[in-house]
Amino acid sequence: MAKQARNAKYTSLLTNHREDARSSWKRLVAAPVSSLMTVTVIAIALLLPSFLMVLNANLEAVVDSFRQSARITLYLESGVSVESAAEVSNNLLQRDDIVQAEYISQQQALADFSRRSGLDSLLGQFSENPLPAAIVLTPASTNLALVSSLAEELSALPEVDQVQLDADWIRRADALATALTILARGLGAIFLLGVCFIIGNTIKLGVEHRRDEIRVIKLVGGSHSFIARPFLYTGFYLGGLGGITALLLLLALLAAVQGPVAAFAGSDNFQRPGLAALLLLILGGALAGWLSALLASWHHIRQIDP
Amino acid sequence: MIAFDRVSKRYATGQTALTNISFELQKGELAFLTGHSGAGKSTLLKLILAMEPISGGRLQINGRDMKSLKARQIPEHRQHIGTVFQDHQLLMDRSVADNIALPLRVSAYGEQEIRRRVRAALDKVGLLSKEKLNPARLSGGEQQRVGIARAIVNRPRIILADEPTGNLDPALSAEIMELFRQFRQIGVCLLIASHDASLIGSLGERVLTLDHGRLVNDSGASSHG
Repeated sequence: MAKQARNAKYTSLLTNHREDARSSWKRLVAAPVSSLMTVTVIAIALLLPSFLMVLNANLEAVVDSFRQSARITLYLESGVSVESAAEVSNNLLQRDDIVQAEYISQQQALADFSRRSGLDSLLGQFSENPLPAAIVLTPASTNLALVSSLAEELSALPEVDQVQLDADWIRRADALATALTILARGLGAIFLLGVCFIIGNTIKLGVEHRRDEIRVIKLVGGSHSFIARPFLYTGFYLGGLGGITALLLLLALLAAVQGPVAAFAGSDNFQRPGLAALLLLILGGALAGWLSALLASWHHIRQIDP
Repeated sequence: MIAFDRVSKRYATGQTALTNISFELQKGELAFLTGHSGAGKSTLLKLILAMEPISGGRLQINGRDMKSLKARQIPEHRQHIGTVFQDHQLLMDRSVADNIALPLRVSAYGEQEIRRRVRAALDKVGLLSKEKLNPARLSGGEQQRVGIARAIVNRPRIILADEPTGNLDPALSAEIMELFRQFRQIGVCLLIASHDASLIGSLGERVLTLDHGRLVNDSGASSHG
C-alpha cells in the first residue's frame, strides 16, 4: 500500500517534470525574438573559444613538425680518425633515444661550407682544413628537457669536442603552443562566465515576470525546487540551444578556413573537432545554462516573500 | 490544531503587533477573529502560516511547535493549511480548474487524482460549470468561491480566511459563511478574520476579539478552558 503510494508519487513527479519541461519550452517559443537573441549571444560566447581550440589543434600539428626538426651536432676532436668516428656514430645509432646519425667528414664539411658560402678563394688560403668532422643526430624525443639532457650526456664522450643543440625552433614552437592554449582556455573561461551571466539575467527577468504566481505557489506550500524547476528547464534549453547554434556556426567557419589552415600546417589533413568535442559543446552549454539558472533562481526566488 | 500560548510578535522595526495571545482551536471548531483594522488579525494569521516567526511564547500548529520548524519544512507545513484571501489571489493567466489544482500540483498528486479532486471542490462551491473559464470572467462572489475551492482541495486540517467576505454584498457573505460552517462537520478547524460585526453576531459562533495586539475577548474561552 505504502509502496503503491510512493510509486504514484514518483509517477506524478515525473508527470510534473514533463509538464514543466513542456511549459518552459512553450514560454521560449512564445517569445521567439528575445529567445533567439539570447541564444545567439550565448552561441557567440561559446563559438570564439571553441574556434580557437580548433585552430590550436591545427597549429599543434605545425608545432610537431618544428619539434621533429631538432638536431644535435657533435663536433669531433681533430685527432679522431674516420674509422673511430664511424664506430662512434654506429654506437650512437644503437641507442633508443636516437633515430638517425649522419657522419660528416672534414672534407665534406669543407665542401658543404664552400658551396653554401661561396668563399672558395678565402678557404684556399688555409694550409689545412679548419673545419672539424661532425656527427649530426636526430633525437627520438621531441621533449626539450629530454633532448637537452641527451646533448649534455653526449658531450662527455672522449671523441667529442663540442656539442651544439639546435633546439631554438622547439623553444619557439613550445612557446607558441602554450600561448595559444592559455589564450583559448582563458577566453573560454571568460566567455563561459558571460554565458552564465546572460542566462542568470534571463532567469531573473523570468522570476520577476512571474512574481505573483510564485507568491501564490509559496502560500499554498510550493517548495523552492517546485518553483525553480521550470526556470532550470529554461536555462537548460537556452544553454543547449546556444551550444547547438555555436556548433553550426563553428562548422561553417571551419569549412571556410579549412583550405588556408591546412596549407599553413603543411598537411592535407585538416584537424576537425571530434564528435565527442562537438557533443561536449552542446552538453557544456546546456550544463552551464542549468547551473546558472540554478544559482539565479535560488537567489531571486528566495527574495520573494509570500 | 491551533494552540497559542502567551504568543507575542514584535517586528524588527520595534513595533509590537501582538502581545501575550493565548487561545486554542480544536478539530472541527470554527472561530471568528475580529477587531479594528491594525489590531493584529493579519499578523496572527501570518504566524500560523509561518510567514513571520513568533517573538515570544509558544505556538503549536497541527501538534508541531513553530519554533522548531525549519525553513525547508515550511512548504510542507503550508500544504496542511488552506488559506482564503480577501483579494482571493487567483492567477488570471490560467483556468479556474488550474487555479484550484495548484495546491495539488505542489504536493505532486497524479493528474487523474487532481482532476477528480478539483471537480469535487468545484462542486462543493457550486461552480462546476465554470471549470474551464478564466477567473477574470467571474463575478467577485464567484472568484471568492474559487479561492475557497483552492483552499479546500488539498483537504487541509486547518482553513484560514482573511476577510473572505470583504468585497461581497450581505447575501453573498452569508452564503460563503454557510459554506465555511459546512467544512467544520468534516473535522476541519477554521479561523476566519473578519470585521463584519453584524454578520459574525448573527451566526452565534465563537469570537476572538483583538485590540491593539491583545486578545481582549474570547467568547468561547469558558467552554474550551
